Amino acid sequence: MSDVILKLNDICKSFFSVEVLHHVNLELRQGEILGLVGENGAGKSTLMNILGGIFPMSAGSIEFLGEPYEPASPKYATEKGIAFIHQELNLFTNLSVAENMFIDNFPTGFLGRIDKKKIRAKSQEYIDKYDLNVRASAKMGNLPMGSRQMVEIAKALMKNAKVIIFDEPTTSLSNREKEKLFKAIRELKENGVSIIYISHILEDVLLLCDRISVLRDGKVVHTDKRERYDRAGLIRDMVGRELTQVYPSVEKEIHDKVLEVKDLNCAGFVKGVSFCLREGEVLGLFGLMGAGRTQILRAVFGLDPKESGEVRVFGEEVKKPSPGECIHRGMAFITENRREEGLLMPRPVSTNLLMVKNEELAGSMGVVDTKEEAELCRKMVKTLDIKTARPDQQAANSLSGGNQQKVVMGKWLLKEPKIFLVDEPTHGVDVGAKYEIYRLILNMAKEGSAILVVSSEMQELMGICDRILVLSNGRLTGEVRKEDYSQERIMKFAL
Amino acid sequence: MNEKLRKIKAVVMKYPILVFLTAAVLVALFFTPNFFTVFNLKNLLLQSTDLLILSCGLTLVQLNAGIDFSITSVLSLGSVLGAYLMARTPLAANPLLGICAAVLMMAGTGVVFGIINGAAVTRLKMPSFIVTLVMQMIGSGAAVLFVNSIAAEATLSATIAGLPPAFGVLGGLGNWFFVPVLIAAAVFLFSDWLLTKTRFGRNVYAVGTNARTAEVSGIPVKKTIFLLFVLCGLYAGISSILATARNQSGIPTLGDKMFLNIIGAVIIGGTSVLGGSGGVRQTLLGVIFMSLMTNVMNLMNVTWYIILLVQGILIFVVAMMDYVMKRQSAYQEN
Repeated sequence: MSDVILKLNDICKSFFSVEVLHHVNLELRQGEILGLVGENGAGKSTLMNILGGIFPMSAGSIEFLGEPYEPASPKYATEKGIAFIHQELNLFTNLSVAENMFIDNFPTGFLGRIDKKKIRAKSQEYIDKYDLNVRASAKMGNLPMGSRQMVEIAKALMKNAKVIIFDEPTTSLSNREKEKLFKAIRELKENGVSIIYISHILEDVLLLCDRISVLRDGKVVHTDKRERYDRAGLIRDMVGRELTQVYPSVEKEIHDKVLEVKDLNCAGFVKGVSFCLREGEVLGLFGLMGAGRTQILRAVFGLDPKESGEVRVFGEEVKKPSPGECIHRGMAFITENRREEGLLMPRPVSTNLLMVKNEELAGSMGVVDTKEEAELCRKMVKTLDIKTARPDQQAANSLSGGNQQKVVMGKWLLKEPKIFLVDEPTHGVDVGAKYEIYRLILNMAKEGSAILVVSSEMQELMGICDRILVLSNGRLTGEVRKEDYSQERIMKFAL
Repeated sequence: MNEKLRKIKAVVMKYPILVFLTAAVLVALFFTPNFFTVFNLKNLLLQSTDLLILSCGLTLVQLNAGIDFSITSVLSLGSVLGAYLMARTPLAANPLLGICAAVLMMAGTGVVFGIINGAAVTRLKMPSFIVTLVMQMIGSGAAVLFVNSIAAEATLSATIAGLPPAFGVLGGLGNWFFVPVLIAAAVFLFSDWLLTKTRFGRNVYAVGTNARTAEVSGIPVKKTIFLLFVLCGLYAGISSILATARNQSGIPTLGDKMFLNIIGAVIIGGTSVLGGSGGVRQTLLGVIFMSLMTNVMNLMNVTWYIILLVQGILIFVVAMMDYVMKRQSAYQEN
């Protein structure tokens, strides 16, 4: 376990002008299991995508088995012997196991006709060889997740993979399947395959891996032998950053409950979540990707159905929530995806700003008053300092991310709601605009609104929230009050 | 001078069809002396009324990237049902009552079709392409079957004649030339008002641009789409009234072969197939253009097939330009 077979040197990657990987150096040794951990957005998936040939690096070099490795496509990576088992498996559920195994390499006969017999025979060979316990003709969609993953691994081995990268492999597995997977991984190791294992589940990483590298904000902060690490130490390395963003401070008071959620359940994503939100409060909701945060907001606002649970707004239960009903009761929902759900991109700023207020404005017969509309727009553009010369002509898609987000907020502010559900308020927003948005949120709370903020940026939540709820796997695992804020404490609840 | 040019440019950008229209008028000027006769223009106007009403209806549906093939069968089914009421039932004795009943029946047929289409698209989430195509087949089949079941001899060209002469008023026969023109104008003005001055109109454009954003913003998406189909059906029903009156008989094949003209007018006029932009003003220009073009080519004695070919090419070119421009701007966003 001494030779280095894969070496990443000074890997840098930028998307447009945002640098997400800064001079990453990583080594993988022959026959070892290397664990890779880090928060959302730390850069793990980006790094692996570069390795797997999905997109190119901006700078740096890679050596594999002593030779330069320049992945131009996934096919290149596969041919060289690096296999990538994604979190969402790359399998076709409507095809059989055999067809999936040969999907990019069908044995053909005359005029390119597919040789079905050969496929069946060869796939059976591999099924036996890797002890897969599936039928070659079984439809992939009918197999349990664990078996599907095994087929995916077999696919990699069929192509003589020397390195297999696992990206969050256990999220859809039962405990038994997890055991089988670990057993398989250990066997792979014994057979000389080297493995990179990415996971949030620190216990698994500590159990399985020989060495662990911690990624934070696009840099490798530490790499060490497993024995030198413990859970607390890993968390410390994952989050231990200096808090540099300045947050506005606002004097405000918190009053009565305006929103109460009891025992919210949404098929598979949210389990028994209960919380309450008060007037004047900024409540944060933190969790890793897939924890169920957005689902909670969507269920409360009526965009997605809930299985069970009670939602009370200003004391009254909302029996069948729908966006219209919730808006009527004074709620607003700022989605995380403004491009697809927050804005009408090709339409002008003014059209976007008026979207929610529209219902209220139209007089009898539903006629709109263009003068009133123009006046409201003008005021809102000024209040929020949205940088647009002609709001009635400039299309939303020509604005910067920060200004776009302001338009979305302006749209809701025109309706003067009392309860705001905000999902990733500063997603894709530059530093300057971020500060403005934080100030906006805090001022709204000062004026008496109640705000629930979902974010994957812990710093952000710590900067503006009065308390933070932490979600993990659909359950509320903890609540941290402002006085007790610490990155480690919050992260502990999330993992 | 520059200011004027810029203004003209802005108008042309908003209504690109004006370019086609000017070209068509010029062709008419130079190649067909017969065009600018009262007789010809009167004919042109009358024929355009149906097209305008039907196209306005289709515009509404297309603003949501939908389509409605069934409008032509509303024409035929409504026609024979209405004619039957007026000519073959006891109502024949009382023309006024007969006409009223027929008008209700024909408009009602359109509304019923619209309700079915709208419900299937919004509740059952079926694509409008399939639903309306099926309704079209059912409708036109029903129209022919109906006539054959009551006619003396079962032929494909059987019609129901004997409508009260007063009904012809609605069709613009005799001195009542202006009646259908007024009705078409009313439909057009109402649609334009609906789309540009009401909350409903704002909602239509929002839903057509991005239904998800519209939903999150509290706009009743399903209700809006449903209403579009109902209105489209209603308009088809109104068109049925006018066309039946003009022909003074219930014709089960009324509306056959009209669809290309209708959708041509809407697309060439400038309403996007992808939804979210356009409107009845553009469609009005499209209707004028289509009628003009057909009329001119007829006067030039161009064969029907060539007319078809030219129309097809134009529709294709305009639709493609619109699609490409939309994709361009979406690409730029990313």
